Amino acid sequence: MQITFLALALKNLKRKAFRTTVLVFAIGLFVALLVFAVSFSVSITSTIDRVSKRLGADIIAVPVGARTEAQEYLLESRNTSFYMPAALLDEVQRIKGVRAVTHQTYVTSIDGLCCDVIPTMIVAFDPATDFIIKPWLNRAIGRQLGPGEAIAGAGTAENLGLGLLGIEATLFNNRFTIVGELEATGTGLDNALFMTEESLQEIIASGLSPLSKDQISVIFIRLDDGLDPDYMGRVIEGQVYQVDVVTRSSMGVRWLSTLADINKIFLVTVSLSSLLTIFLVWSIFTAIANERIREIGIMRAIGARQSQVVKLFFLEAVMLGMGGSLLGVLGGTYLSAQLAASFALMNSISAGLEFWQQLAIGLLGLLVGGGVCLAGAMVPVNRIKKVEPLLAIKDA
Amino acid sequence: MAQLELNEVSKIYRVGDNVIPAMDRVSLSIAKGDFISVVGHSGSGKTTLVSIVGGILRPSSGEVLFEGEDICALGDVELSTYRNERIGFMFQFASLLPMLTARENVMLAALFGQERSREEQQRADHLLDLVGIGERVEAYPGELSGGQQRRVAIARALMNNPGLILADEPTGDLDEETEAEIMKLLGRINREQKVTMILITHNAALARTADRMLRMKNGRLVGVTERE
Repeated sequence: MQITFLALALKNLKRKAFRTTVLVFAIGLFVALLVFAVSFSVSITSTIDRVSKRLGADIIAVPVGARTEAQEYLLESRNTSFYMPAALLDEVQRIKGVRAVTHQTYVTSIDGLCCDVIPTMIVAFDPATDFIIKPWLNRAIGRQLGPGEAIAGAGTAENLGLGLLGIEATLFNNRFTIVGELEATGTGLDNALFMTEESLQEIIASGLSPLSKDQISVIFIRLDDGLDPDYMGRVIEGQVYQVDVVTRSSMGVRWLSTLADINKIFLVTVSLSSLLTIFLVWSIFTAIANERIREIGIMRAIGARQSQVVKLFFLEAVMLGMGGSLLGVLGGTYLSAQLAASFALMNSISAGLEFWQQLAIGLLGLLVGGGVCLAGAMVPVNRIKKVEPLLAIKDA
Repeated sequence: MAQLELNEVSKIYRVGDNVIPAMDRVSLSIAKGDFISVVGHSGSGKTTLVSIVGGILRPSSGEVLFEGEDICALGDVELSTYRNERIGFMFQFASLLPMLTARENVMLAALFGQERSREEQQRADHLLDLVGIGERVEAYPGELSGGQQRRVAIARALMNNPGLILADEPTGDLDEETEAEIMKLLGRINREQKVTMILITHNAALARTADRMLRMKNGRLVGVTERE
């Protein structure tokens, strides 16, 4: 059996259990703050990014003045209505660089005499041109929707309490069969009931909806490869005065702008707490180095090299850093999960992290926590390694 | 051939404009297996002498040859290896690490070595047995008496089979009976293991038991007495 540096470092940490615990908690608090801040920021930006990617369009054109409402619906699932003439579809289609267009029309169901479901967004799409819903539809039922058929978004199915396929619902006095449920996409479209344009025309014909025959809500636009969506957005707005555009980069700009301010606060807080943690580690390791100066002298006298003294102290710093960071990662992850519901910003867009993102943030927390601990220990360790063995033994 | 040779070795400290000589042009030669005692008043340069020989203090001038190699020319890594493999230290205070057991304190000397062995624990146990505290291997320094702690320190000094043991007043704070036991033990190790021993002591009677007694004053070697 041999004695190891790791065992020696562990024994050293155990000598002052209270001090070790305080330091681990201090590092843990810093890492928890870091993990919470990064989780908060990443979950919002990645959710907005995910939504814009899943919609599958380079640009979304909406009626002038309806940009905010459109984003509120697509990101926040807020029921809203806005309309523009269907003729604009052709105008947009004719613009050079536009590869494909499709449109959707939104109408909110009204509970009461005409409808027997709670108020829900009804999204009508044109199967002939659609490139947004079709991929989801194929995965859900493997075919197109027919007349009188509707399919529920994942959120809608939950809200309406749909458990069985083939149930019937009345919408604006028209009977619809709900034939299935789409998989969750993380977009506002999850909270909609989808039907074809042909079915919507029957609703319009009933005269109970606020819609007229030649109105649409949004135009989804795909561009030719290599074109800049922001540039093309300006071109479209310049040529078709009745529309505003939302590009991927401008998607959720209101949320991102608020987030940018919050991030500044996080940056200041995390920077200050990292400095505080480094200072704490530095002062504790300075005390440790002073306490153990004779022991270091003895170890040097019996053959420890400078590098071995550094190794021993850094092992202690790494163990403290990793212990604290692990605690911080768990605490920060728990905190962000628990507090998510308290933040309107996160709640409104159903922001969340994927597993790999949580894993990456956890690893970041471990690295930063360990790094901060090493940075704090560096100066006192560097000082003590240079002490002459005899002076260390005599001065203690 | 001498195992250890000091040629005109001096150590001076500068405090502001003042130059304080701790050791002044000391030359001596020690053969392998010798038992040397060093006596002198406080500040006479005894500790400076063994510290320079042990490689924990660099001289200001002169050369220190151990088995023909000038240790003053060694860098930190080589000098650490020299201390680890060739020198065994005993200090004038309890020098054990408090969080390690007696066995672990002895094994500590091997931790810093370049070549590790799987039999380190067996060797530590054997050495603790040799110095007479084989039944206390799991005891922590706080659980051992002063004499027992010195025995552990001797075992640690022997762990890497050194050629030279430097003992700086190793029995200074022990009672006479324990002091005699420790000195007897050091003498036995010197004889049986042919380990060269340099012992600093204030005790003239103990010093006279050595093969040769060096007398130091004001940093200078002022007398050498061979045992009759």
